[in-house]
Amino acid sequence: MIAEAASPARTSDSATGARVSIRGLGKSYGSVTAVTDVSMDIESGEFVALLGPSGSGKTTVLMMLAGFELPTGGEILIDGRDCTRLPPQKRDIGMVFQHYSLFPHMNVRDNVAFPLKMRGIGAAERRRRADAALEVVRLGGYGDRSPKQLSGGQQQRVALARAIVYEPKLLLMDEPLSALDKNLREEMQLEIKRLHSELGITIVFVTHDQGEALTMADRVAVLRDGKIQQLSPSRELYERPANLFAASFVGEMNLIPGQWDGATITLASGDSLVPPPQAFPQPVAPGAALLAFRPERLALAPAGTPGALPATVREVVYAGADTLIIAAMPDGTEIRARVPSAGSRDIAGGTAIALVCPPDAMLVYAGGAA
Amino acid sequence: MAGFFAWRGRHLPPPVVALLMAPFFMLIVFAFLYPILSLLSLSVTEPQPGLGNYAKIVENPLYATVLMRTLWIAVVVTVCSLLLAFPLAMAMAQARGAMALLLTACVLLPFWSSVLVRTAAWSVLLQRNGIVNGLLQWVGLTSEPVRLLYTEGAVVIAMTHVLMPFMVLPIYGALRNIPPDYGRAAAICGAGPIRRFFEVTFPLALPGVMGGAILVFLTALGYFITPALLGSPKEQMIATLISQQLREFLDWPFAAALVGVLTVFVTAITLAFSKVFRFDRMMGGQL
Amino acid sequence: MKPALDPAKLLMNAYVALILAFLILPILIILPMAFSDTDYLTFPPQGFTLHWFGDYFGNSRWMKATGFSLKIAALTAVITAAIATAATYALVRGAGRLGALFQGFLIMPIVVPHIALAVALYLFFQRTGLANTVAGYVMAHSVIAMPFAVFTIAAAMSAVDPTLEDAAMSCGASRFSAFRLVTLPLILPNVLSGGLFAFILSFDEPVITFFLAGIRQKTLPRMMFDNIEQSLTPTIPAIAVLLTAMAVLVLVAAGLLRRVEARRRS
Repeated sequence: MIAEAASPARTSDSATGARVSIRGLGKSYGSVTAVTDVSMDIESGEFVALLGPSGSGKTTVLMMLAGFELPTGGEILIDGRDCTRLPPQKRDIGMVFQHYSLFPHMNVRDNVAFPLKMRGIGAAERRRRADAALEVVRLGGYGDRSPKQLSGGQQQRVALARAIVYEPKLLLMDEPLSALDKNLREEMQLEIKRLHSELGITIVFVTHDQGEALTMADRVAVLRDGKIQQLSPSRELYERPANLFAASFVGEMNLIPGQWDGATITLASGDSLVPPPQAFPQPVAPGAALLAFRPERLALAPAGTPGALPATVREVVYAGADTLIIAAMPDGTEIRARVPSAGSRDIAGGTAIALVCPPDAMLVYAGGAA
Repeated sequence: MAGFFAWRGRHLPPPVVALLMAPFFMLIVFAFLYPILSLLSLSVTEPQPGLGNYAKIVENPLYATVLMRTLWIAVVVTVCSLLLAFPLAMAMAQARGAMALLLTACVLLPFWSSVLVRTAAWSVLLQRNGIVNGLLQWVGLTSEPVRLLYTEGAVVIAMTHVLMPFMVLPIYGALRNIPPDYGRAAAICGAGPIRRFFEVTFPLALPGVMGGAILVFLTALGYFITPALLGSPKEQMIATLISQQLREFLDWPFAAALVGVLTVFVTAITLAFSKVFRFDRMMGGQL
Repeated sequence: MKPALDPAKLLMNAYVALILAFLILPILIILPMAFSDTDYLTFPPQGFTLHWFGDYFGNSRWMKATGFSLKIAALTAVITAAIATAATYALVRGAGRLGALFQGFLIMPIVVPHIALAVALYLFFQRTGLANTVAGYVMAHSVIAMPFAVFTIAAAMSAVDPTLEDAAMSCGASRFSAFRLVTLPLILPNVLSGGLFAFILSFDEPVITFFLAGIRQKTLPRMMFDNIEQSLTPTIPAIAVLLTAMAVLVLVAAGLLRRVEARRRS
């Protein structure tokens, strides 16, 4: 800590991120369990998103990482040091809060310099490093302003500058972009990614926005009811969700009930499909099962195409880049397809069509009719 | 104002909480709770154990009359305060800019100025050759000065003057919290100004009205300064009776019993109305 | 099209004007009497003299009482603000069951009449030797000022975003530094207001001082009470001028503090 504080300038050495090891982490409030047996290893410089609906325990995990909540079980190691019961101010972690949490009675520079002040760094050095951090977030020259004079996006940049000014090895972010409007949010997503690659810092990022998690993170942990459902790289999470919850929570997914007999899956409409072996993220015993595939993986074909699923168009929703086709299978099961708008002609409701599902798009999960 | 005292932020460790609250609890226990309870115990132990002192209050028609008069004056003061406070609070809630500042200043200045000064003012206004008598004669209501000072009327007027601001603030607070869209919605639904007042404004302001009314009523019950300085010694209220028993007759146990009656009564009312008697609403956010 | 003058509205405005007159005129009428040449109170005042101010400032008994009351009020202000700040902070940061007890204890001094507390303290202080001591008055006045101070401070405390303390701690501040450097500066205007109001409440407090005051050392309100009860000389309006000026000052100061607080928050 002292060595870091004394380091004169940003060097590649100080820019390596922390390794974080969470083992069997649990948190309960009385009889209510918020987090159960959460374990993950985060590599140095990795960007991990904690994704989940509200009440999934993602924020509780982050608060335990930050030291604001004491775990009721398990341990947290940062760079091999046991931090489980260490108070937040002794963890040397940077943190960005949902509503920025800038100190309203201090100007921008004093806000950014606050962590340096807490580390006993002299005024001149504080000023120099705070201004440098403001440059990093492209707010050079804003030091004398009051936080209230800044826009939401600028306030978020100040919060970022404050979190990175003392070059922590780990940066925690608690839904930092949720208060921003859409355009600004996308701009800040790229900004944070840029900072991440520039500084080489380890980032743990909480969000309920799956698009944001997929865009920003190297790996995404999906949480539900305090348990990790899946922890994998973004592409794998999207293309091979480990279970039904991850499949339905991340992105759009068709879930068609059917019967699995060990070789083929027979849908309620009578269609039979043969899923390839890689369509099973988990083993499925013969019986009721769900066939899952992403709407954008379906291709439109003329009615009667062999091997395709016959359906009748119910609704066509034009959405710019692509067009959503909501159709019904012969037994009435809804099926959705997202096809590129360019080159596709208008289809009227009631048209009989066929939908081609490539084998590598198929996923099968155990479960009855949802 | 909801959740005014609600828990927010990180919990402090229980020992720290106890340490921070200790001075408060020590003060209240030492300089409030213990003295009151030991006074009340005096009322049932002296001169002999039992409820003799309380029986004396009930049995002697003189004291019963004082209790009834106190109750009656407190009710009248509460009603008068409401009739004056509600329109004023509404005007405050509707006023903008300089007018709002003026109205607020007019309510807060008496609130924070000396009770003794205001009581002295009324004693000058109501004296035999005072302004009120002059006004009455000028209007022609009387041909010669009437006795105003040292009457129940004087006590009611001055007490209303002193206590009314306590009613304005909670009502103002409640009115200010009514979103203007409610009135607009009622108007669109076809309600005229009077219907709007009785169907929307008044019901929504009712918690403020109740809180203010209870506060004024309870304060009026035990009020001492005004009846002591403007009231007639023959028409006592309970506070002046307590003072007399204590200072003139040195009858501690009986004075303690009178305090007991008063304290038990106000506590019962507070508990009965604890739902509407919300402390955080009491000052209407205006101190 | 401008609506015609609504007679109901006119009537209402006239009523509100009358209420305001009732509220404010008694105070406005007594003030000029301080300059009246007569040695009894009369309106309109006759002549002009500063004699009654001289009578107040030149009289050692008035001065001694005023000094005594000022000392009590100043101590009450400081002690009340400190106790209220500590307790309110603990309350909003997780007092648990103590919180319910706190609120119960807080409301009692408001609903229990001052006469009851005055008599009880009279008895208790006589037994413990606290009667007519500065400490005795300060304790009594702190009890009755406490709800007002807590209310004022809690209003500011509930408006301060609690994650600011988290942010400070994530920056390396200890819990105490987080309070001292972040929360306290943000609620300070209201802590000062709470202290000011405690000062005024104590300085003007007539009932408890009526019962606790001794023969030789009286508080200012007790001296005023005796004067009003016995002779009512224009010294009272002279003091009223000073007290009202003080109330105006306090209100203006509190208003400015509120503005500072609001600006910091928004």
